[in-house]
Amino acid sequence: MNLANAYHVLYIAAIIVLTLLLFFCLIRAIKGPEVTDRIVATNMMGTMIIMIICVLALMLDESYLLDVALIYAMISFLAVVVLTKVYTGVYKEKKQGGKK
Amino acid sequence: MEIFRFILAALLIAGGLFVAIVACKGMFKFRFVLNRMHAAALCDTLSIMLVLMGLVVACGFNLVSLKLFLIIVFLWFASPVSSHLLALLEVTINEHLHEQCDMTEAKRLCKEKQVDLSEVKKDLAEEEKEAANGK
Repeated sequence: MNLANAYHVLYIAAIIVLTLLLFFCLIRAIKGPEVTDRIVATNMMGTMIIMIICVLALMLDESYLLDVALIYAMISFLAVVVLTKVYTGVYKEKKQGGKK
Repeated sequence: MEIFRFILAALLIAGGLFVAIVACKGMFKFRFVLNRMHAAALCDTLSIMLVLMGLVVACGFNLVSLKLFLIIVFLWFASPVSSHLLALLEVTINEHLHEQCDMTEAKRLCKEKQVDLSEVKKDLAEEEKEAANGK
C-alpha cells in the first residue's frame, strides 16, 4: 500500500469518526433540559468542527482552510461569551419584573 | 523513516479520537450540567491537542504546522474562560442547585467566610464608633 494512500485512509477515517461524534453532540444539544446544556454541547460541536476542518486542510493540501479553522475558533468562543451574557441579563430582567 | 512518521501520526490522531469518544460518552453519562462541562472540557483541550499534533507530525515543520500550533494555543486560552462563564451562568440561573449537587463543602467554606466577614464587620463598627466619639 502506498504511503499517500495510507494517509488518505487515515484522514477519511478520522473525519468519519468525528462526524459520528458530531451527531451525538447534536442529539445532546437538542435534548438538553437546560439552556446551559445546549451551550456546552454547541461549544463541543464547534471544537469537533475545527478538528474536521484541520484534517480536511491537510487532506486536500489547502493551507488556507487552517485560517478558516482559526477564525471559527475565535467566533465560537465569542458566541459562548455573548450567549452567557445575554442569558444572565435575561434572567436578571425576569427576576426584577417578578419583584415589581 | 517515513513509515515511522505515519505510524506516530496515526497513533496521535487515534488517541485524540479516543479522547473525543470518551468526552462524548461523558456528555450522555452524567446527569447534571456541571458534570457534563467536565467531560466537554476534555474534548476542548486534550483531544484537539492530540489530533493537531498528529497532523503536525504528518505535515512536518512549515507554515501549516505554525497555524496548527496557533489554533491549539488559542483554544487552550479560550476553553477555560468559556467553561468559567458557563459555570457562572449555571450558578446564577439555577435556583435548585443545592438539590441537584452536593454542596456540603461549599456550605462549609461559606460558613468560614461568614465568620471572617462578621469579624471584619465588627472591626468596622468599632472604628465607626471611635470616629463618632472623637467628634
